[in-house]
Amino acid sequence: MNWLTRNKLDDWILPLIGVVAVLVFWQIISGHTETKKVPDEFGDIVTKTVKTGISKDLPTPVETWKASKPYLVEPFAKRGELDQGILSFTKLSLILVTQGYLIALILGTPLGFFLGLSKKFTKAADPIIQVLRPVSPLAWFPLGLILFSSVKLVDGSGKTFFGTSDAAALFTIAICAMWPTVMNTAVGVRAVPQDYLNVAKVLKLSRSKTLWKVLVPATLPYMFTGFRLSLGIAWLVIVAVEMLTGRPGVGGFLWQEYNAGSYARIILCILTIGIIGLVLDRLMSMVERRFKTA
Amino acid sequence: MALLELNNVNKGYGTPGDRTEVLRDINLKVNEGEFVAIIGYSGTGKTTLVNMLAGLLKPDSGEVLLEGKPITGPGPDRSLVFQNYSLLPWLTVTENIALAVDSVFPDWSKEQRMEHIQKYIAMVKLSHAATKLPKELSGGMRQRVSVARALSMDSRVLLLDEPLSALDALTRATLQDDISDIWLRQRKTVLWVTNDPDEAILLADKVIPLLPTVPATLGETMLVPLDRPRDRKAMNHNPEFKALRNHLINLLLDAKGKNRAVVSKKLILPDILPEDISNMTSLQMMNRRGPRRRSEEKREEVEVAS
Repeated sequence: MNWLTRNKLDDWILPLIGVVAVLVFWQIISGHTETKKVPDEFGDIVTKTVKTGISKDLPTPVETWKASKPYLVEPFAKRGELDQGILSFTKLSLILVTQGYLIALILGTPLGFFLGLSKKFTKAADPIIQVLRPVSPLAWFPLGLILFSSVKLVDGSGKTFFGTSDAAALFTIAICAMWPTVMNTAVGVRAVPQDYLNVAKVLKLSRSKTLWKVLVPATLPYMFTGFRLSLGIAWLVIVAVEMLTGRPGVGGFLWQEYNAGSYARIILCILTIGIIGLVLDRLMSMVERRFKTA
Repeated sequence: MALLELNNVNKGYGTPGDRTEVLRDINLKVNEGEFVAIIGYSGTGKTTLVNMLAGLLKPDSGEVLLEGKPITGPGPDRSLVFQNYSLLPWLTVTENIALAVDSVFPDWSKEQRMEHIQKYIAMVKLSHAATKLPKELSGGMRQRVSVARALSMDSRVLLLDEPLSALDALTRATLQDDISDIWLRQRKTVLWVTNDPDEAILLADKVIPLLPTVPATLGETMLVPLDRPRDRKAMNHNPEFKALRNHLINLLLDAKGKNRAVVSKKLILPDILPEDISNMTSLQMMNRRGPRRRSEEKREEVEVAS
C-alpha cells in the first residue's frame, strides 16, 4: 500500500475501487435475460426469453449505458418536449431552481435578519417556523396550486407561459429552500460580537451604516453557509416538483421514463441529479470560502 | 465646572436575587485638558466605569455628567479606545478610520475627510499600512489604528480602556511614549484606565486607584507632579517617581489585603505512628490490628540525640 501513497495514486485508485465495487454489486442484483428453448403444451419447441435475478426488472450497467447513450452523446438534442438530451433537461431544471432559489434568498435573508435582531419577533415567529420547516415539498405543492389558482400570464400568441403550476412550483421550491438561510442568518446576526456593536454605537453610526458596514459583513459567513444548504434543498425539491407537474426537466423525465417502463434511463436521471447536486454544492462552498472574514 | 463628572454612581449586574454590585459610590471629576489615569486590578469594574462614561452603560443610581449635562448615550464628544482594538476585520486601516470620520463630520467634502484621515494615520505612524486589513497588522499596529480612529473623531474627551494591556512590554513602552507625545501636542482631556502602575504614573497628571473592595470604589486621588516630557529611562532613577510608585502599589496591595476574606476550616492532622514492618511475615501483617495511632498511645518514647 506504501507505493500507492507515494505515487499519489490512492487519490484516484481507491475511489475507483469503490465505483467498481458498486458496479459489480449492481450487476449481481440486476436482472439477467435468459433465452431458453422449451417445449410448449403442444410439444413444439419454442424460444422463451425470461428475466431472472434478485431485482429482475433492474437493468444491468451495460443495458443502462446502451439506453442512456443517445441522451449523453447528444446532450442538447431536442426530439420532443419530454425527449431531450440530458443536459437540455438539466438546463430546464436549473432555470427553475435558480428562480425558486432566488426567491428563497430574497425572502429568507431579511427574515433571518429580523429574527436575529428582535427577540420579540423571534418569540412570535418561532413556533410557526418550527412547524413549517419540516413539511415536505410534496405537501406544499398542492397548497401552491390552490394559492396561485388564478395565476395565468399569457404571451402574444395566446399561449400561457407562466401558469398556476409554474407559480406553485416556484412557491414550493422557495418555501422549502428558505429555512436554512433563515436559520443561519438569524444565528449569524445573534453571533455578531458585542465589540462590533459597541464600535457602531460609539462611532454613532446610522442604522443603515450599522447594517451594511457592521451587521452584514459580520453575518456573511453564516449567511453563505445558509445559502449553500438552501441550494442543496432547492435541488432536492425540484425533482419532486417536476415529478408532480410532469414539466420537462430531469425529474419530469425520470417520472415519464418510469411510466414508460424504461428503467435504465431512471438510473441516468438519478446519476445526473447527484452529479449536478455535487457540482452546485462545490461551487457554493467555493463562494462561501471567499467570504470567510476574520 | 468639571468637564466629566460622576456623582454617587452605583452600578451592578444581574437580576434581583442573583445580583453582583460592581461599583459603589463613585465620585470623580475630570477637568478640561487633564490626563487622568484610573488604576485597578482586573475584574474590579474598570471597563464598567469607562462604558458608563462612554454612554454604553447606564448607572443604576447617581449621575454621569458631561459639562453638567447627563450622559444618555454615546456621542461624538467622547471617543473610546477599546481594550481589544475592536477594529472591523473586513475594513482596511483607512476604511476603519473613515467609518468614524464620515459619521462625525458628514458635512465635510470627500477630500477634506480623506486628508483628515490621512493626518491621523500619519500621527500614529501607520502611513505605510494604510491599505492593509487588521489581520495583516501586529497587535501594536492594530491598537495604533484604534487610537487613530478615536483621535480622528476630534472629541473633547478621549476614553481609553486598558488600551495597551494586550501588548508585550516593549511594544507597550513605545506606544506609551507615542501617545504621550500626541497628548503633549493636543492637550486633550484623557481618561486612561490601566492596570499598570508605571504606565499610570508615567502618563497621567492624576492617578486614581479603583480599590478592589466588593463593590469597588475609587480611592484617594494621587497627583503626579513630575515634569513633562517624562523620559522613561530617567524615570527609572527618579526618586520622586519611585516614591509615587511605591505609594501607589502599597495602596493597591493594602486594599487587596484588607479585602481578604477569612474562612475558618477545621484541620485534621494525620494520626499514624511509624512502625517497623521489615521483619514481619505476611501472616503477622494480616492479623495486625492496624496502624498505631498517637491518640491511642498512653506512653511515647522519644529518642533524643545527646
